[in-house]
Amino acid sequence: MYPLVQIGPFRLSSGGLLLLLSIIPGGVFMARVAQARGGAKLARQADTCFYPVMIGAVIGARLWYGLFNLDLYGRNPTLFLALRVSDFAWPGALLGGLLAGYVWCRRNGFDKLKLADSVALTLPAVQAIASVGLLLSGEAFGVPTSLPWGLPLFGAVRHPTQIYFALAALGSLIAVWRLARRPLPVGALGAAYLGLQGLTSLLVEALRADSLVLPGGIRAAQVFGLGLLLYAVTWAQRHSRAARLVPAETSEPTLQEQS
Amino acid sequence: MIALTQRQSEWFFAAVLILGSLFIVATRVRPEQTTAAPATATDVVTMPAPLADHSAPDFTLTSLDGTNIALSDLKGQVLLINVWATWCPPCRVEMPTIQAAYEQYHDQGFTVLAVNLQEDPGAVAAFMRESKLTFPALLDRDGQVSRTYQALSLPSSFFVDRRGVMRAVYRGPMPRSIIAGTVEQLLREGQ
Repeated sequence: MYPLVQIGPFRLSSGGLLLLLSIIPGGVFMARVAQARGGAKLARQADTCFYPVMIGAVIGARLWYGLFNLDLYGRNPTLFLALRVSDFAWPGALLGGLLAGYVWCRRNGFDKLKLADSVALTLPAVQAIASVGLLLSGEAFGVPTSLPWGLPLFGAVRHPTQIYFALAALGSLIAVWRLARRPLPVGALGAAYLGLQGLTSLLVEALRADSLVLPGGIRAAQVFGLGLLLYAVTWAQRHSRAARLVPAETSEPTLQEQS
Repeated sequence: MIALTQRQSEWFFAAVLILGSLFIVATRVRPEQTTAAPATATDVVTMPAPLADHSAPDFTLTSLDGTNIALSDLKGQVLLINVWATWCPPCRVEMPTIQAAYEQYHDQGFTVLAVNLQEDPGAVAAFMRESKLTFPALLDRDGQVSRTYQALSLPSSFFVDRRGVMRAVYRGPMPRSIIAGTVEQLLREGQ
């Protein structure tokens, strides 16, 4: 475990550093994907959305963490503003980012579904890199296991949940890019990403030892994951019905067709 | 896309909802579940050093109320020695998290020694009072303990098990999960 990285005179949090390293190229990558899928107009929209979505994600991540640690945050509300990368929660970041993106796109008349597809093609890569940061900092650690691929941490051999998260993100990345080759309705990639994200939260969170929990020991991220999964199922069903009624020319062109 | 009839769609949605909910309930965090490792008897290097698996270097410091507290007197308890200062922003941010762990685990034999680095006792007392911190703050007036523990960056945290053996060293502020994971493990080992 390497929670801090020494760079010259600075000691930086490895988790925060990897998060930063993943977000910056992620933003650039997303603009390129948007350019490939919707030309200069969509790329410009993606650029404009970046900061509002990031702000929404940061606020959501801290609110989620704080609300599920209310005994601590309620006593000292200044913690909501503290510069601590470890006190963020991914479900809150996704929810906050989605909400901010939706409001921003609506206000500016942007094509939110096309942007959602571009995000879906980018975000898993960002998550995979950020998961390595979790591994280095020792956060999001797993429950003890006797499986041969367990990693020693905090005096026990544990499920490498951070690696599971990274592998799930890479799997999602491959799946979404493969789907992008097919003629699918606009927004399908975004919905597919949310479904995969839901499945990841539902399954991997079950092995975490430091989950944020609801009353009764229910893991909050799993409930959130099931919600995402059900949203993706509903989306697919609705569009599957619509596809039977509407001719296929409304489908989004594939990446290959556009390039 | 797979084309399902309306009824099949409804069944599929219901199946995902029911199976997902059952999975969530089955994998919930149970009260008896611990994040800790099974108790082990690890070999210990007995030479005192601020390194994991060495004896924690002994010291005696005065607390804010004038009591002398010696590390060796606290054998049998799991300790977090946190070297800090009020002028250090990450230390201030970390304190409520440490307080929460102190309140949660104190009854089970966990205590915190907040070793303040060369500050005015009045300023330290005011900070502890304003932040509602109830664990003992010790005054390292000449910085000797901080030097012995090689606390070159603040905050520096040292977890000591019930036998007085240093078990983990962290530089920089710790997330709540790391404090809880380490303390639970060390508490369980001594049972």
